[in-house]
Amino acid sequence: MNISSKVFQSAIINKTNVRRIASTVPRCSAQSERKVPLSSQAQTQSNSPSSSEQRKPVVPSEYRFVYPEFLPDPKLEWRNPIREKLERMDMLNRRKHIDIPEFYVGSIMAVTYSEPYSAGKVSRFVGICIDRDRCGLRARFILRNVIDFQGIEVEYEMYDPAIQKIEVLRLEKRLDDKLYYLRDALPEYSTFDVNMEPELLPEGAPVPVNDIKVKLRPRPWLERWERQNLKGVENIEEHLKEKHILKAKARETPWEKYDLMKQYRKTIPEEEQKEIYAEVYSQLHQLELARKKMKRKRTFIKPTKLA
Amino acid sequence: MSIAGRNSILLRTLLVDFSNLRLSPATQQIREYYHRPKLRNPYWFVRKTRAANEDNLTAENQDFIKERVHDKFGPPAIIKGVSTYQNAVQSLVKAEEREKVEWSPKLRRTGVLARKIGNYPLWLKNGKKIHTTLLHVVDNHVVRYIPPEEYKPTQKPTVHDVSKYGCLLVGAESTDPSLLTKEYCGLFKDSGVMPKKHLARFLVSPEAALSPGTPLNVTHFRIGDFVDVRGKTIDRGFQGVMKRHGFKGMPASHGVTKTHRRGGNIGAGGEKGRVWPGTKMPGHMGNRYRILKGLRIWRINTKYNVMWVQGNCIAGDTNSMVYIYDTILPLRKPQISPPFPTYFEDESEEALPEEIWYETVHDFKDPSITFAPES
Repeated sequence: MNISSKVFQSAIINKTNVRRIASTVPRCSAQSERKVPLSSQAQTQSNSPSSSEQRKPVVPSEYRFVYPEFLPDPKLEWRNPIREKLERMDMLNRRKHIDIPEFYVGSIMAVTYSEPYSAGKVSRFVGICIDRDRCGLRARFILRNVIDFQGIEVEYEMYDPAIQKIEVLRLEKRLDDKLYYLRDALPEYSTFDVNMEPELLPEGAPVPVNDIKVKLRPRPWLERWERQNLKGVENIEEHLKEKHILKAKARETPWEKYDLMKQYRKTIPEEEQKEIYAEVYSQLHQLELARKKMKRKRTFIKPTKLA
Repeated sequence: MSIAGRNSILLRTLLVDFSNLRLSPATQQIREYYHRPKLRNPYWFVRKTRAANEDNLTAENQDFIKERVHDKFGPPAIIKGVSTYQNAVQSLVKAEEREKVEWSPKLRRTGVLARKIGNYPLWLKNGKKIHTTLLHVVDNHVVRYIPPEEYKPTQKPTVHDVSKYGCLLVGAESTDPSLLTKEYCGLFKDSGVMPKKHLARFLVSPEAALSPGTPLNVTHFRIGDFVDVRGKTIDRGFQGVMKRHGFKGMPASHGVTKTHRRGGNIGAGGEKGRVWPGTKMPGHMGNRYRILKGLRIWRINTKYNVMWVQGNCIAGDTNSMVYIYDTILPLRKPQISPPFPTYFEDESEEALPEEIWYETVHDFKDPSITFAPES
């Protein structure tokens, strides 16, 4: 395969990625599609054991969204297969002790954390995930909440061993990839009840997209939000003057979405992604199954209401 | 008289004339001034790689060369995370033949060649995050030992009293000899080691000498010990003072013109009216060897020959080669004997575990950290 066809392929992959994030339905359909070949493969397996040895585990296609930190940094100068392998081993070992659930930017989460400065206690912070980035053991996310009229943001490293528990209280996505604009929005948009009950989604349901549009406070802002092409902001126009609009227009880069090389450099090629997820699939899948079993057990044993 | 006869007479007279002209030894000029010794490179500094042309080799010829290589060194194999050949070393010294030497703090062990493969964080048991660099010891073998009497380098290493130390040639990463020159391959001929991509010399005490073919692994170092790591810094080319020396530059506005990233004044007038030597100025940055000293080894993986070393500012890019030595910092030198002269895997009664963690580092296999109140 020559380079241009690879580039083209990755571009197609990227396009499909974007579409999948934006819409809610395909996740479900992808699962149903997956189930059909699995069952057929099971049949062939019983018929011919020799072919089953060559068969690789079928990795669900949504893994790259559920476990994005297993993909290394696409910067070519920083890559090394052995380092990446060791890093993945460490991540899996940590995941055996802490359940890191599926979550996205916009999900409402609670993190229980123990600190040396309050030894013997644990602190629990509830907030909305406004960013999730970095890869490998460096993966992190930022939670934001307004507590006692004061906006609070806490950055957590996903593989920090001092984290006791990560819960997802409401699994959903927002219209944007990063929600830093909540810092300049009215406080009610980032205020969440500390004693919030987890909202359970039915099994196999698509992750809902919350299309709420927030209202920004008047200027001054922390960033020039008008230049960032935000979808989740309602009233950006009313705070802008003529010069802001003109400057934003001058700095637009509408051609970037057609820049195939740029996208190629920003992503890991699909073949490599498959290889990486095939390596960690069996362990991740076992962890998922164990988690499901635990959840079922909990629902049977724990009574919801007393008296 | 024929033409040929006349020519021969002419030639004879000419020869006689030349012999008369020859300078006698008494008239030879003798230069009285000091002859500077010629700074010869070590004998292993030879041209390494061949020209990349295929020499019009047919496919059959190429297969034949590959076959010959495989006949001699075995089929390609991945050993400890490095692609090498199965019988890359033929001259392993048996455990019975080795003589036992006692370690003392003044003795100098060999170092190893490693590849810097990246950085990632580890956590201590007290919850603190540390930055670590991963160093992959890649297929190291001793190629030759030159005893102190024979080792006479013209370019003196910066070691106190060089005459005490011998020189150990260590190679890393076996490679297909058909990619290398004949002279370079010749360096490995007597050692029984397959030609290596990288060669390095380490100064060692004669007691710490190793015989050719000895493998050097990451277990040469112990967990918790301190090492010095030498690498070649990233070549950044000609840089200004802001990047090269961290100058502050000058304001972007307020009437400043044409001096935003310039160094400013470089000297005073009067008696000292000149540029003093050593003044920080723009120039070439990077591409020189630098040693980072006193780095603790936090973790070792014996399966992949990888060590996790403190810090993420080891010189060089990811995937570049570095040299690892025992530290020379006096307070961080080992107090108890390290594996001396190196760790032999065949000698040890029980194999080392795959993962070795320093006592204060949190193992990812352990449960989460909780802090108990001090009672």
